[in-house]
Amino acid sequence: MALTIISLMKQVPLPSEMRMGDDGLMDRTKAKSIINVDCSYALEAGLQIKYENPNAKLIVCSMGPPSFEQSLKRALSMGYDNAYLLSDRRLGGSDTYATGLAISTMLKYLGFGKGLNEEFIVLAGRQTSDGDTAHVPSQVAENLAVPQATFVETASLSKGIVKARRIIEGGYQWLQLPVPCMLSFTPTGIAPRYPSLAGAIRSKKTEIKILNIDDIGLADEKIGLSGSPTIVAKVSNIKSERAVIKLAKGHGEEALVSSLIALMDAGKNKLEVKDSKKIKERKRPDGFEEVDFRDGSRGILTWAEIVKGEVSRPSLELLTPARHLASQLDEETKVITLLIGKDIRDLANVLIAHGSDEVIVIDDERLEEYRILPFSSIFEQVIRQRKPEIALFAATTAGRDLAPRVGVKTDSGVTADCTELDIGEHINRKKKTIFTPILESKRPTYGESKLATILGFVCPQISTARAGTFEVPIIDESRTGVTEEFTPELKDEDFIVDIIETVRGESGLQNLFDADIIVCGGRGTTDDSLELVKALAEELSVQGVNAEWACSRPIVDERIVEYARQIGQTGKTVRPKIYIAVGISGAVQHLAGIKESETIIAINHNAKEPIFYHADFGIVGEYEDILPELISRVKDGFTFGVKNNKKDEK
Amino acid sequence: MNDHNTVSTDVLIVGGGPGGLSMAIELANRLREKGVEKKIMLIEKGSEIGSHILSGAVIRPKVFRDLLSEDEYDKFPFDSRVEGDDVVMKLSANTVTKLPFHPPYMSNEGNYIASLGQICKYLAEIAQDKGVEIYTGFSVDEMMYENGKIVGIKTKDTGVDRHGVKQKNYQQGTMVEASITVLAEGSRGSLIQKMIDRHDLEGENHQIYSLGVKELWSVPEGSIKSGAVYHTFGYPLNDKEEFGGGFIYGLSDNRVALGLVVGLDYKDPSFDIHAAMQIWKSHPEISKFIDGGKILEFGAKTLPEGGWYSIPKYYDDNLMIVGDSAGFLSTPRLKGVHLAVRSGICAAQAAVEALISEDTSEKSLARYEELVNDSFIYKELYPTRNMRAVMHDGMLIGGFKIGMQLLTGGSCLLRVPHMKEDCNTTQRVALFKRLPFAERFKGKLEFDGALTFDKVTSVYHSKTAHDEMQPSHLVVKDSVQFQRSNIEKYGLPEASFCPAEVYELHVGKGDKRSLRLHPENCVHCKTCDIKSPNCGIEWTVPYGGNGPEYTYM
Repeated sequence: MALTIISLMKQVPLPSEMRMGDDGLMDRTKAKSIINVDCSYALEAGLQIKYENPNAKLIVCSMGPPSFEQSLKRALSMGYDNAYLLSDRRLGGSDTYATGLAISTMLKYLGFGKGLNEEFIVLAGRQTSDGDTAHVPSQVAENLAVPQATFVETASLSKGIVKARRIIEGGYQWLQLPVPCMLSFTPTGIAPRYPSLAGAIRSKKTEIKILNIDDIGLADEKIGLSGSPTIVAKVSNIKSERAVIKLAKGHGEEALVSSLIALMDAGKNKLEVKDSKKIKERKRPDGFEEVDFRDGSRGILTWAEIVKGEVSRPSLELLTPARHLASQLDEETKVITLLIGKDIRDLANVLIAHGSDEVIVIDDERLEEYRILPFSSIFEQVIRQRKPEIALFAATTAGRDLAPRVGVKTDSGVTADCTELDIGEHINRKKKTIFTPILESKRPTYGESKLATILGFVCPQISTARAGTFEVPIIDESRTGVTEEFTPELKDEDFIVDIIETVRGESGLQNLFDADIIVCGGRGTTDDSLELVKALAEELSVQGVNAEWACSRPIVDERIVEYARQIGQTGKTVRPKIYIAVGISGAVQHLAGIKESETIIAINHNAKEPIFYHADFGIVGEYEDILPELISRVKDGFTFGVKNNKKDEK
Repeated sequence: MNDHNTVSTDVLIVGGGPGGLSMAIELANRLREKGVEKKIMLIEKGSEIGSHILSGAVIRPKVFRDLLSEDEYDKFPFDSRVEGDDVVMKLSANTVTKLPFHPPYMSNEGNYIASLGQICKYLAEIAQDKGVEIYTGFSVDEMMYENGKIVGIKTKDTGVDRHGVKQKNYQQGTMVEASITVLAEGSRGSLIQKMIDRHDLEGENHQIYSLGVKELWSVPEGSIKSGAVYHTFGYPLNDKEEFGGGFIYGLSDNRVALGLVVGLDYKDPSFDIHAAMQIWKSHPEISKFIDGGKILEFGAKTLPEGGWYSIPKYYDDNLMIVGDSAGFLSTPRLKGVHLAVRSGICAAQAAVEALISEDTSEKSLARYEELVNDSFIYKELYPTRNMRAVMHDGMLIGGFKIGMQLLTGGSCLLRVPHMKEDCNTTQRVALFKRLPFAERFKGKLEFDGALTFDKVTSVYHSKTAHDEMQPSHLVVKDSVQFQRSNIEKYGLPEASFCPAEVYELHVGKGDKRSLRLHPENCVHCKTCDIKSPNCGIEWTVPYGGNGPEYTYM
């Protein structure tokens, strides 16, 4: 049977149209809809794979209201053969778990799955701009029992073998997967093509097949609110912590730079904080029954991700919220850390010193590098045996790959990319019950404008925590803990995905975490291969300032700079005193990586770039003009208000 | 030829404005009446119908009654009926004189204020219901020929990087074969510009243009009545130097459309129409309408106002041109919508006859010209054929002469008046003896971001966007000459006249002057194609779906 390439697609409001209204709320009413950007890259990846496999059939599937048809039509006009839309009011309120189940059930209904037609690959976007969870691809893969590669940039398929380049922290990995499999794509590979007119004409004649849940044979209770292990309990606004940008004025670089210096001399760009209204404490209602839904599950499980033989920094950070949660629960609550790898036994002490009470060690040479199938199987086995109430993963590319797959295996929901974790309670007024204690997972959503509190009612309650949000715990060498070995049952099938190559730059580049000033070059600074960006950092160092240079994702993609210097969601989060963004547009991932910076200065020729909405000071101009001028001012002693170590020493 | 990339139709219309859409509707109606089945296809470069449409607009409704059925007309999306007489104001820097009368050609009784974009959306719905196939988000950049005759068009190739190198997502454009290709590109169409030479279509005069910059505001209750119409002339324009004026229209829901229209035949190389509009808005007689309000949209568009003698030949073998593309615009009224619609109707009539007789040759399509000459297009345009030429005498004397023209049937001049092309009227910096723009309005060029805006902010309000992975759609034809002349001698007038900050004069160390291009800001007004000295810039069409996203312009 010929290969079928199945692309999953979601329609979302146009991110740039999701503007703040006067009330500070996201105004989504007028927003136009588009194909979710990551999904559009997956659509293109499918068309590229079709070039190598001319007999392949291309189908696109979506789940959502009938208005999604316009995006499915666009996919058809790009070159897809057929389109299917799962559309049913009863799907409303589905979380990612229920969504993953519904989509995989639709695919099985269409004839794809283990024991059915197995000549297929599923492509999806890494995550959606209105959800940002990155769960559904992993969940669909687990439900279909096929291997997966998430965070993929490019992929090819020939002779039944898929080769995929997957992003990992500080580098990338080439994976080899069999057919069938699932790939999720980041928006950094080949940009989606424009539809051709001929394609648009063809698509007009192609009918979109609309299915409901009865068609695919899915029971009511499996979807919607009743089929979802998690709920959104609360959404609150995140007030911008930055004042409106102050832009340098004048014509020509001399005037612009002078204006910037004058603005900065006038003081920090502080947000005038009005007295925030006190939130009314809602009274705990009397006569409600307290329910402990944990059913005997106890303890907090965390994963110690190993990178280059060391516990990765985000996995150590994770022990901070883990201890915080343990302290909110009863005294008996243990923090149990799963340590998987090759020759890693010695690291158990590191984990204990950072806050683990128990370390479960799985030492196996096949597990030197993270791989989804054996790792998710190990987690399932450990969870079944130890019954933890909470499981935490760092929201790294591996953590975000692993957590949702483990979630499906244990019937749990997952909350992605949390920035706050607390123990609380949930009051159900209908049922007159109070669920307590329960994990409140808080995560920014809608382009970082809202903070959603997500609750899960199935143990373990699984969350991933955003890297760089929590501090690494202070080491306490006197802490004691238990270390034990665990021998999981692993099958040959768990190793059907091969790692062909793993490439990582110098790990960490610690300097970036410590620098007072970071000069970061983006896509707009590639003309001189970042020479001016480097020169500015260099000159600041000459002046005795602790300065470093870095870059955004596209620069790394173009192989101009090594991964270690990349800043952004899959790179790193930094918090310097001054962050100078040169030629950076301000993609959400990048903004997430820099928002802890004390002062952000943006230099870009395009005044419409989002970076200007997230910076304190800005210059609209070409970097080739502005940077030489800035460098000459630094030579004259201007250091952006950051202390000059040399002078202080004198 | 790759069949996969070729489609065919009987009539292909390029452009979803009032002219193209009216033609599509009239064609569909007449073909149905005759029981003839023909395929009509319309292609629009905007992401949606209306995205690139901008007009005042006070509209004469009569022609829509002719085009549409009663039912269709009843649901027509007019905004408000013009209430009372127009108020015409002559402004000076600090004063205003209300004219006790308004010139007869400016009466708006019985007319409606509307968003032309909304009208086009409505017309597109009607056309689609009648079987017209409409495709938005596709740019056409090539005419296809066979044996020297037009046989259709080709849409633009996509997936090409800035240097023109094909990328992995390269998508070849689609060829559309058509018996009749209709160009309805609007003002200064990029295909028509290419064809005027090739097909020798130019009228007795060059076409000349105005640029209109327009804003839509939401204002506090009571700022203006819906249906109110104000026109201004004078300040900030200099009566003898710049031809044009302002308009303020009261819309429903406390909204105001206002703008400034200026002829592009001015001489000052530093004249800046966008800035002039901001200065105009600051005049107390204008600012009172929008004080305390909020800007909703910004846009800019040129209009062809050469009048009768500038109309090109608007048909050829297998080719027809309608609307602004053909220069059908009434200069004294600065109104073109009703003429565009009428030209679409005339073209449709001629096309139906040609399709049925299976003869779409130039000779057969000449019927279109006969129909135009029998219609009110002729009746409106011919008597004012000399209008624009006399405006060089200034608004008042010119106005008097127009009155004379109307009385004498336009014959106060004995010969076709000569008009220079707009690209040839700008003077070099050294030769321009009057006060340059910046000195003329010294102290008035600081924009407050509340009532007045710089260009970048305005561009933001136009919601324009362009894919940066494509060759610049603004082409400097000869970069050596551009440097020597446009930059060194003229001081880059493009930076002043472009209302969207596409052109930037960069002065580097050692006073080294160079051009910085920002094509991503372009609002598709086409001024640079018209006004650049030496015709130094060619406006080509970017990828489909790129450009402004007007909603109520």
